[in-house]
Amino acid sequence: MRTPDKHCHAIHITKDRCIGCVHCLAACPTKAIRVRDGKARIIDDLCIDCGECLRVCPYDAVHSHTTSFAALDAFDYKVAIPSTVLYGQFGSTVLPTEILSALRRIGFDEVYDLSSICELNCAAVEEYLNEHPRPRPFITSTCPVVVRIIQRHYPTLCGQILPIEPPREIGAKILRTILPKALGIPPEKIGIIHITPCPAKMVSINSPATLNKSYLDGAISIRDIFPQILGALRKGEEDALMRHLFPETQFSGIGMGWSLAGGETRGLKNHRGVAVSGVEDTMRVLDQIEGGLLQDIDILECTVCPDGCVGGPLEVENRFLAKSRILQLVAAAGERAVVDPKDVSRLYHKNFLSFDHPATPVESRPLDSDPVKAIRKAKRRDRIFADLPRKDCGVCGAPDCRTLADDIVRGLARLEDCPFIKTSRTTKEKR
Amino acid sequence: MDADEVYRHEFPVRGGDFANAGTAARRIKQLLKDMGLDPQTVRRVAIVSYEAEMNVIMYAWEARIALAVSPREVHITVDDRGPGIPDVEQAMTEGYSTATAEMRELGFGAGMGLPNIKKNADVFTIDSAAGRGTRLDIIIRTNGHAT
Repeated sequence: MRTPDKHCHAIHITKDRCIGCVHCLAACPTKAIRVRDGKARIIDDLCIDCGECLRVCPYDAVHSHTTSFAALDAFDYKVAIPSTVLYGQFGSTVLPTEILSALRRIGFDEVYDLSSICELNCAAVEEYLNEHPRPRPFITSTCPVVVRIIQRHYPTLCGQILPIEPPREIGAKILRTILPKALGIPPEKIGIIHITPCPAKMVSINSPATLNKSYLDGAISIRDIFPQILGALRKGEEDALMRHLFPETQFSGIGMGWSLAGGETRGLKNHRGVAVSGVEDTMRVLDQIEGGLLQDIDILECTVCPDGCVGGPLEVENRFLAKSRILQLVAAAGERAVVDPKDVSRLYHKNFLSFDHPATPVESRPLDSDPVKAIRKAKRRDRIFADLPRKDCGVCGAPDCRTLADDIVRGLARLEDCPFIKTSRTTKEKR
Repeated sequence: MDADEVYRHEFPVRGGDFANAGTAARRIKQLLKDMGLDPQTVRRVAIVSYEAEMNVIMYAWEARIALAVSPREVHITVDDRGPGIPDVEQAMTEGYSTATAEMRELGFGAGMGLPNIKKNADVFTIDSAAGRGTRLDIIIRTNGHAT
């Protein structure tokens, strides 16, 4: 069992902007935020980088540590592999091939589409499921937050994460294998960058759960790079015409919808997939699996963002429009496979697509390392909770009364932090 | 068992309350994690308490799930007011179920509930009186190795 990494989070709070309100407290699904001295603070051990706090902060005080465009200057050759979510961020007249071309014009030396790699991943998952009739269900690893939730909160399910790397890592691995030879540039001088609506991708790059080292060099937020792409699109009308007439990339209709909930499992032919999106529902379903249910499902796709990656907190277009645009592109690309199953099978059997190692459980946070003391603290916590008002107002700095009781027995807060307890004491003293 | 070493809590469960299905089991699981029990024990208790809770919701009128945790063992007692089980031996057979089509549609009632509880428990006793209710007594030792 591993101890949690301390400095691997992608979410941080900008103190100057934080006014210490309770929006993020209430939104955090793992109760990882406290307000102390008037500012929100994230408890590293509990944060899963889902970005729910980032969505709800009315003061723009929650930010993500994604790669800046300027940081790419460290590389001689810059390669972008954007998430297919990017194709849904522009109007319905802008084709993916124009977007890839715009990325070249703003400074990337080469740009690759991931939809065919998504299709490849789906075929590899199918092959893995054929060869492994047990256990059921397997869980996909595309969403890095889901992998972290499982490691921390459902440790016994670590073995049920299907050990095929997600498309972004497979794509980067293929490029990292072929580009240095093809270009004659040393591998460390080639920067392979993901473009993403998701802050957690940065965490999976900096401290990968199932690889010794990520094949990606960074992740740029769609929100950050959007204005530049838009500018390049506006200036490139002639280029757009060229791209319409001579599309150079073959997009996969099977892989194009990957970023929509259900997209990962839609291409499976012989297996039953179920897609769950949203962090609360994901945790509910994982609870059921840990309780021994849902064994008639072969593969469970979980993404913590609503509607899948297309609902990522760092996108620009609202997710409903983005989804509708991507569905148009899926329909336009059709159901024809662009990846040869024989190639996939070869890579699969060379273990080219596999995890380096399984995801390992991360230590949970018992009330005390001594079981007898932990039991005593649990009893004391119940007694404290019984005295609290259960209004979950957040004024004490904890998201709810139950969490305050928990903090008190851990020595992280005091009963007097509760404004209602204070009031009743003062009244008594006055009498 | 020294009383000081035992954590006790009761969870009321109402029959037919599908909206809250799994709530008690989820709370129990979190409590065991907070008390530092090992993940395999937590999982066995999770399976047992989930099945027991679902049995109450599907078949009984109401019940209390009583949890008692010591460093050595987890003791779960489910005492329900309900129709009881006329033939306990038959109910303990894998695949035997009286679940309705609607329950099966929800993924329950595969006839694995009671056998699954027994499989994950170190000690399991069942006592049922037709027309009155059923009582389950389950002990899972924290160093046990069932399943």
